[in-house]
Amino acid sequence: MDLLWFDYANLALNGLAEGLMIALPALAVTLVFGVARFPNAAVGDFVSLGCFGALAAHRATGGSIAASLAGGAAAGALGSWLGWKLAFQPLMRRHGLALLLTSIGLGFVLRAFMGLSFGHEIQLFDVPLMKALRFGPLLVNPIDAMVACFSLVCMGIVFGLLRFTSAGRTMRAIACDMDLARVVGIDSRAAMGRMWVLSGVICGVAGLALGLKTQVSPEAGADLLLPAFAAAVIGGLGNPLGAVLGAICLGVMQELSTPFVGFTYKIALSYVVMLLVLLWRPQGLFNRVQGVR
Amino acid sequence: MEFILFLERKNVNQLDRRQILVAGALGALVQGGNVWAAQPAGAAFRIGALNPITGSGANFGSGMQKAILFSAEEVNAAGGAAGRKLEVFAEDDQTSPTAAVLAAKKLLEVNKVQAILGTWASGVSLAVLPMTNTADAILMHTSGAVALADPKINAKKMAYRYQGSSKHLSRAFATAAKKEGLTRPAVMAQNNPALAPHAEGFRKAWIADGGKLTDFVLYEPNRPSYRSELQQVLRSRPDGIILSAYVPDATAIVREWAQLGTPMKWIIPGFGANVDFIKGVTPEVAEGIVVVESVVNEKSGAYARFAQQFALSMKQAPESNVYAAMCYDMVQVLALAIEAAGPGADTVAIAAKIHAVTTGAGTPVDSFAAGKKLLAQKKAVNYVGASSTIDFDDENDVDPTFAAFTIRGGKWQRSYPISG
Repeated sequence: MDLLWFDYANLALNGLAEGLMIALPALAVTLVFGVARFPNAAVGDFVSLGCFGALAAHRATGGSIAASLAGGAAAGALGSWLGWKLAFQPLMRRHGLALLLTSIGLGFVLRAFMGLSFGHEIQLFDVPLMKALRFGPLLVNPIDAMVACFSLVCMGIVFGLLRFTSAGRTMRAIACDMDLARVVGIDSRAAMGRMWVLSGVICGVAGLALGLKTQVSPEAGADLLLPAFAAAVIGGLGNPLGAVLGAICLGVMQELSTPFVGFTYKIALSYVVMLLVLLWRPQGLFNRVQGVR
Repeated sequence: MEFILFLERKNVNQLDRRQILVAGALGALVQGGNVWAAQPAGAAFRIGALNPITGSGANFGSGMQKAILFSAEEVNAAGGAAGRKLEVFAEDDQTSPTAAVLAAKKLLEVNKVQAILGTWASGVSLAVLPMTNTADAILMHTSGAVALADPKINAKKMAYRYQGSSKHLSRAFATAAKKEGLTRPAVMAQNNPALAPHAEGFRKAWIADGGKLTDFVLYEPNRPSYRSELQQVLRSRPDGIILSAYVPDATAIVREWAQLGTPMKWIIPGFGANVDFIKGVTPEVAEGIVVVESVVNEKSGAYARFAQQFALSMKQAPESNVYAAMCYDMVQVLALAIEAAGPGADTVAIAAKIHAVTTGAGTPVDSFAAGKKLLAQKKAVNYVGASSTIDFDDENDVDPTFAAFTIRGGKWQRSYPISG
């Protein structure tokens, strides 16, 4: 069956929605990698934690989305900060591999904790099913639009924080060179703590977005981990804008490929793209090559 | 000095490696010896309850495990089988083959179980079967994949299926689609070892009957959205969609469909459209969806006993978990086979008795306790179970009865039976 232009446009829209969804955890991955120098495999589980926080707030307040946003962000931030204090901080000067393994372990602990506390049944946000908005032949799901807004606003705030506040500057300074930052008087531990809280808040917002779009379960967030990693790698690890653009590229490309490769291979395609990017521009699409220090 | 140090270090390294090798080999021997050691008569018969407590089978797993436990208690209360008490070791397979293999390894090697009961997802059963084969353990599962009946895979014929296989379910779906008056249905199925062959089986049965399909889409599980998949299927303008899915993806897909607002008739297997599905998509959206499911053997005494205990321990309606009824039957059948094989029999001899106590011309019994009495009088028995009459064919498959239900007011309402 021949596809018309609007079929492709609808696919691209679906891809954009998915990309913006992945962009948040990708941002969290890249932030941790940029500052703490290790790939955090527990990002997906912080997203699930945010999911449950948002769901609890949603139920407690009788369906307030603002309260869910606060609940998700708070749960994500608390989980992430505790993870930093209890698991990562004691290992901070170790090799990245030790930290990666710790984050994998932390992910297991978090999943088990959520399973025990909230159960493994699928839970849903009690929001009315809304009809898709039609713009001629184009279809936009209101929930997707809402999720996209959350993502964009959250990213805007994160970029503002990193760019224009002293907390952001200290974070960028320790990302650049931790020892030098300490020499000039930056409290690297405090800055690191703030970075973990920020990454937790991002995961929490992602949790709400994921919960609204799909379902809440202890494993829900972990499924986002690999796409988020792929997006962060494509955009250049440590580059926040790159992670977001990488996620959007991946999402759109994945959906647009489906008429040609089918639905089972579209996921593989994103990893093929990642491999090609790594071959062609190992530093990622949006990073410059840096001199060896 | 440097040189000597180097030599010494090298020696130490070599010794270490040798020691490790020797220790490893010894360990393997000791371990292996234990696995193969014969069980003394009168020792407990150890059962591994390997069920999907978490993952996409989580809606059923806890109930399945509970059913194995209370069924085993019932057997023990009746004095055990052939003088042996049943001892149950429970594990979670996480509905994931990787996790299941680790859990099965622990059950077989550490707990030394002689049978593993209640694996649910086909991927899990396919992963565990080679391990139970190697250990000469019995496997009883509720998975649909046709491959599980393959003589190469079920090589020792020690695996038994208590659920209709995909081939039965596919035929039941084709019958239901015809009864619902569909002329141009489309198929959406999760790409996994049970659901994809089920969808493929439906396609074959439907086309063999002269029918046409408008589209056939396989999708990957655990996606944040199935929008593109759904839009493609809807573009082909089907008059109904056969959706072969588990609860999480079925919920997501039907929710997305409700947002698009195209009228559609859905036919979904029961394991994808249970209570949680209805809650997830809301009863209004679920209204009119057709569900095909193997039905429990309501009129049997075994079902009455199962239902009473299940309602007590799970605080759920017993008919909501047909797999729990299958698990209840697994233990009863296993105990009857142990009893029939006599004291001190090994697992191969016990497995060989399973057909004899379930299938054939013996006196119908609906519990282990009743069967035990008859077996003591040297009479043949035929167990009639809670989930089905439990009659195994040559491939160790049961052929259960299916029924079509329609969701009305948030509940399944039985429409018509479909014979297998």
